[in-house]
Amino acid sequence: MAEVKVQSTLEGSPLGQITKRRLTLRGLLLQLRAFIALILLYVFFALLSNAFVTQSNQVILAKQVAINAVLGIGMTFVILTGGIDLSVGSIVGLTGMVAGMLIHKGLILTPLDRVIYFNVWIIALIAIAVGMLVGLLNGILVTRFRVAPFIATLGTLYMARGLALLSNNGATFPNLIGKPELGNTGFPELGRGTLLGLPYSIWIMIGLALIAIFITGKTPFGRQVYAIGGNVRAAQLSGVRVKTVTMLTYVISGFCAAIVGLIISSQLVASHPATGDGFELNAIAAVVLGGTSLAGGRGTILGTIVGAFVVGVLRNGMVIEGVSSFWQMIITGGVIVLAVIIDQVQQRIQERSAA
Amino acid sequence: MFHKNWSKLIVTLLALATALAGFNVSAPALAQDSPGLIVIITPSHDNPFFKAEADSADAAAKALGYETLVLVHDDDPNLQDQHVDQAIALGAKAIILDNAGADASIAAVRKAKDAGIPTFLIDREINETGLAASQIISNNYQGAVLGAEEFVRLVGEEGKYVELLGRESDTNAHVRSQGYHDVLDEYPDLELVAQQSANWSQTEAFDVMETIIQAHPDILGVISGNDTMAMGAMAALQAAGMTDVVVVGFDGSQDVMDAIKEGTIAATVLQPVAQFGPLAVEQAHTYITTGELPEEEKASIDCILITPENVEDYFNFAPVK
Repeated sequence: MAEVKVQSTLEGSPLGQITKRRLTLRGLLLQLRAFIALILLYVFFALLSNAFVTQSNQVILAKQVAINAVLGIGMTFVILTGGIDLSVGSIVGLTGMVAGMLIHKGLILTPLDRVIYFNVWIIALIAIAVGMLVGLLNGILVTRFRVAPFIATLGTLYMARGLALLSNNGATFPNLIGKPELGNTGFPELGRGTLLGLPYSIWIMIGLALIAIFITGKTPFGRQVYAIGGNVRAAQLSGVRVKTVTMLTYVISGFCAAIVGLIISSQLVASHPATGDGFELNAIAAVVLGGTSLAGGRGTILGTIVGAFVVGVLRNGMVIEGVSSFWQMIITGGVIVLAVIIDQVQQRIQERSAA
Repeated sequence: MFHKNWSKLIVTLLALATALAGFNVSAPALAQDSPGLIVIITPSHDNPFFKAEADSADAAAKALGYETLVLVHDDDPNLQDQHVDQAIALGAKAIILDNAGADASIAAVRKAKDAGIPTFLIDREINETGLAASQIISNNYQGAVLGAEEFVRLVGEEGKYVELLGRESDTNAHVRSQGYHDVLDEYPDLELVAQQSANWSQTEAFDVMETIIQAHPDILGVISGNDTMAMGAMAALQAAGMTDVVVVGFDGSQDVMDAIKEGTIAATVLQPVAQFGPLAVEQAHTYITTGELPEEEKASIDCILITPENVEDYFNFAPVK
């Protein structure tokens, strides 16, 4: 049974696509288009400005990309099943506020008249659990109650944002340094600390990307995700537990969003309830630029990372060049549309060569 | 067929590259004789207030020979943080910042300070002293008192009125409301029948006002925490045919100035925003050339009451020359 699935799902990986067809130069170039676009953008901005290629700017660039890439990793799982997760931006805001609240006010147990303060590791785990819970809610709505993913996650987008605003009446939790006597110091370290000269957020992106590449490429779960997106009915008939797997993809997305929420509030040393507003669209843009089909079943984690870098390089480069933010929006939008057009071209070529 | 598609791809990529190359003109490639780069960060320019603020700072810095980089943070502390990183990486000499939140901006200002770059805050404060090189703000309290006094003069000492509040996380919303009430609460027969936040937004103010009108069709005045909300409230009142209701705003934005000329809005309080940027640039220049910072970190600039009598004297937040 597992073998059958492998056959039908290998299409998702670029390796599958390339080896199955004649390896033509054109095909290869199209396959690697996001990567080629990335290199072109790099060269382009490097020629324009010396400030772009400096080491410090490259680190900043990677740090900015990490936010979007981590969200994009979770989003890729969801989109591969043919779903969508609009709630990630709100989860970013909510989990940041959860961390902020636990540091500032502790966990208030009204009936017992006690307040519990946790150390930052526990706080991080609780925030991540909250993100995964929202993801689970998304998954339940989509699989058990058969709410369309767009609607279900739109609903949780509003709910999670409302909760984030409610948690401190719309105000920011400032100065998240904790108090030594409460044993909850060290939260800013996540945003400030470095390993081998690179901020932790970059390592987190690399780590999560490697894990996700392994999961999508090498595990039965990964193959089942592709199978569901490719053809739900076929997946079901071949024994894939469609509901459980789909639900898990939303939990993964919630997990990634929670990580981002922690990174941002730690970088800002403050939790701001509006944080993450619109991030879901940036993440979707990275996924689409990376060649993942919104219809599901086709796409890769690596593509998403490259897609996130394309958006990041574009924005970082334009900021350095002082391009008006209005033009930045127009150009970013143009690049996304262009990517999808090229994707369609590739699809047609594929269909022809298959015929 | 393949060939055609492939060439399409090349053409589109080239087109993109050329389009981007067009922006090279504005590149802050540091000239040899330039005294350095000043980075100016404000909220989005879709609000003319911030556009005027950024433009005035930009012009002042360029007049002194500085290279400038003008960025917007869209009220997103995370984006602001990234811009500050960028300014540090570019080796900016100074940052002029209208920040994205009194608490959420502290870390960014501290980071710049640690990197040896002074931040000159304009328009909005942060909840921490000793980090920014200076904080130049308009005297919101004084302005609110001016606006409220004019409001009482126009509405009279008795009757029902409505207050529209700004975003609750913004210090200015509280300070202005405080200024309004320190005046209005002196008159016991002036009755506040509704006090709602419309988050500085025109559409939200319109919606809120429409609803309030249903419950209180007999109100005499609306006092608003800023001009965009005053515009929204005015539109709702006009739509309901309540053209006699007195609307007072705060900011001095050009659309409200025009409404004052037309008589649909009674008065507003002009923030001399066009002075913030040049003053901040002047302070930055002093610091860059002599290493001296202003003695007082906080400077507040008095606001000006705008009524039909003096509305022609100001344009784009600055006196008409």
